[in-house]
Amino acid sequence: MRVLQWALVSASLAAAPFITVAGAADLVKVAGRPRATTPPAAAFRPGEVIVQFKESVAGDRGRVERALKEGRVESARAGFVSGRYLASLIPGDSVAEAVSRLSAIPEVDFAEPNGIVRKSQASTFAPNDTFYRFQWNLKLLGAERTWAIQKGKPEVVVAILDTGIAYEDFGPYRKAPDFAGTVFVPGFDFVNDDAHANDDEYHGTHVASTVAEATNNGVGVAGFAFGCGLMPVKVLDAAGDGTFFDVAQGIEFATDYQRDGQNPVKVINLSLGGPGSSESVNRAIDKAFARGVVVVASSGNDGEGTISYPASNSKVMAVGGVDGRKERAPYSNFGRELSVVAPGGNCLRDDDDDRVADCVFQQMPDPDAVDLGRYDTFCYCGLDGTSMAAPHVAALAALLVSQGITDPAAVRAAIEQNAEPLGGAAEGARNDTFGHGLVRPAASLSGLGLNDGPER
Amino acid sequence: MHPLRGTLRGGAAALSLALVAAAPAGAQGFAVFGQGGYFSMTAADSAKAVFDSSGGPTFGGGLSYGIGRHFYVEGAFRQFSKEGERVFVASAGSPVFKLGFPLEARLRPVYGTVGYRFPLGKSAFVPYVGVGAGSTSYREESTVAGETKTENRSKGSFHGLVGIEYGRGHLRFAAEGVYTTVPDAIGVGGVSKVYGEDDLGGFVAQAKLIVSLKKR
Repeated sequence: MRVLQWALVSASLAAAPFITVAGAADLVKVAGRPRATTPPAAAFRPGEVIVQFKESVAGDRGRVERALKEGRVESARAGFVSGRYLASLIPGDSVAEAVSRLSAIPEVDFAEPNGIVRKSQASTFAPNDTFYRFQWNLKLLGAERTWAIQKGKPEVVVAILDTGIAYEDFGPYRKAPDFAGTVFVPGFDFVNDDAHANDDEYHGTHVASTVAEATNNGVGVAGFAFGCGLMPVKVLDAAGDGTFFDVAQGIEFATDYQRDGQNPVKVINLSLGGPGSSESVNRAIDKAFARGVVVVASSGNDGEGTISYPASNSKVMAVGGVDGRKERAPYSNFGRELSVVAPGGNCLRDDDDDRVADCVFQQMPDPDAVDLGRYDTFCYCGLDGTSMAAPHVAALAALLVSQGITDPAAVRAAIEQNAEPLGGAAEGARNDTFGHGLVRPAASLSGLGLNDGPER
Repeated sequence: MHPLRGTLRGGAAALSLALVAAAPAGAQGFAVFGQGGYFSMTAADSAKAVFDSSGGPTFGGGLSYGIGRHFYVEGAFRQFSKEGERVFVASAGSPVFKLGFPLEARLRPVYGTVGYRFPLGKSAFVPYVGVGAGSTSYREESTVAGETKTENRSKGSFHGLVGIEYGRGHLRFAAEGVYTTVPDAIGVGGVSKVYGEDDLGGFVAQAKLIVSLKKR
């Protein structure tokens, strides 16, 4: 079994504004110029001032009018409270100066700008992570609306069966900086047979970061289910290779894990695959499904009409990759077992025109350092492949479990029934190229009313 | 289906007008009434999924007009509202998962009835039957993370009822059962689509307090 990695492209974002995109075959430099920050909107209505007159003059219309005239107010509207007026200023007059001028008038109790308020419940959530703006993939999924609905719960854990995760300081390994605050539960390293499933490559950390990289901490990039927990399970070695035996063991480990008498692992992500099939892996998947665990896997990166194994298992959600145009990425395998598609990226394109290649950017160990046997240097790097698409769906599954949909078949149905049909498919229909289509997280999470359908 | 429904509605209206016109002036009498009871929805699976139960209290009122000893016409309204939450149901028969987003639904039927009474000699009890038609307005509102979704629709309704009235004088009581149907009112989206339920009608068991303006 091999790591599904169609094109390795890394981008060091550590020293913005320049982002270096290095392809396996050739080196491309892309100048990533951060957009100018938008100045905050005014916190008060321009041209308006609230004026409160003293009680002694509030009922004296003549004195009030004279005072407003003295304050060079163009017009004023009386409020419900006696002596309170909303004054309209002469065009071009400064609110600050008018407040100062009106406050100085003896009849005036106080004057203040007419501040703007809005509903306190956010209908979107925009994180402040430094390089979030490069995450076209999250925008494609409507992540900000999704996060207003559900950010994930720490008691819902996604097991990442991969090359490990840079989740702890142990020996030569260091915890990736943007996992500060991310919840981890103990995992296992089935390659080296120990309890420290650290990442001696980079793939697993990248995949895990898509699910739950620390978010809204002003650092790095965002994860899609950043409120959920992660379990590192290493089943692929430093070259990205693994075996059915270890994959089956990893699935069973995640399925059997107990904390306080319960298993918090509700989703298993398998960004891996290969030809053939395995009874050992099939039985492990059956067990996971029966225990209420959603299993998600990448469809494969051969660009052909055959879904890789174990994604082809009927109890596994096979996920293909699309680019920023919602077109099938050229590497993405397709076929009748394909469940849905998610952003897998295409590092050779820039469809959002931000002058940065449309890879999926997440934190991971710096590949150059890893080549030298060092696991203490990290980058926010871009990769593409169905390995990158699958964790978006695993994260969505974790969000759905956090929202209350606890059965794997129901989670799958909530994702598939609400997907955006692509490739000419009718609403609710599927095709082999895109499966049920591109996942629509907010629609899946919003559920159904009596007669009102999901949020679209 | 639609031409037949139009005919029924038109027929009911014509019949009530004819009865009013034909009634002897001395036998006519107005009464006002308040009514309250329990409404059980035909779309039971949908209601149970969203509200946890398929029924609840309903109340309303109206005006009736007696024509001679036997006939009467009445116009009335009822209101039924219930709170629940948005859910996910994959398919009919699969588990219901509650998602915690509050939802409120309100049904408000306005209808007319043509009825026939069966006076039992000198007894204070008077059984009656009736049929009618009207319009039912439906409003559903739910809020998901700060965004409120509202759906309003109105559909024609039909009903039949049986009841028994008790009393002499100005104040009378009645108990009645009403079966209503509001076809094609739901089933467009939401859980009603999943369950294939399109009728907003149901069965109402209710009591009436009638204040007659003419002593019987």
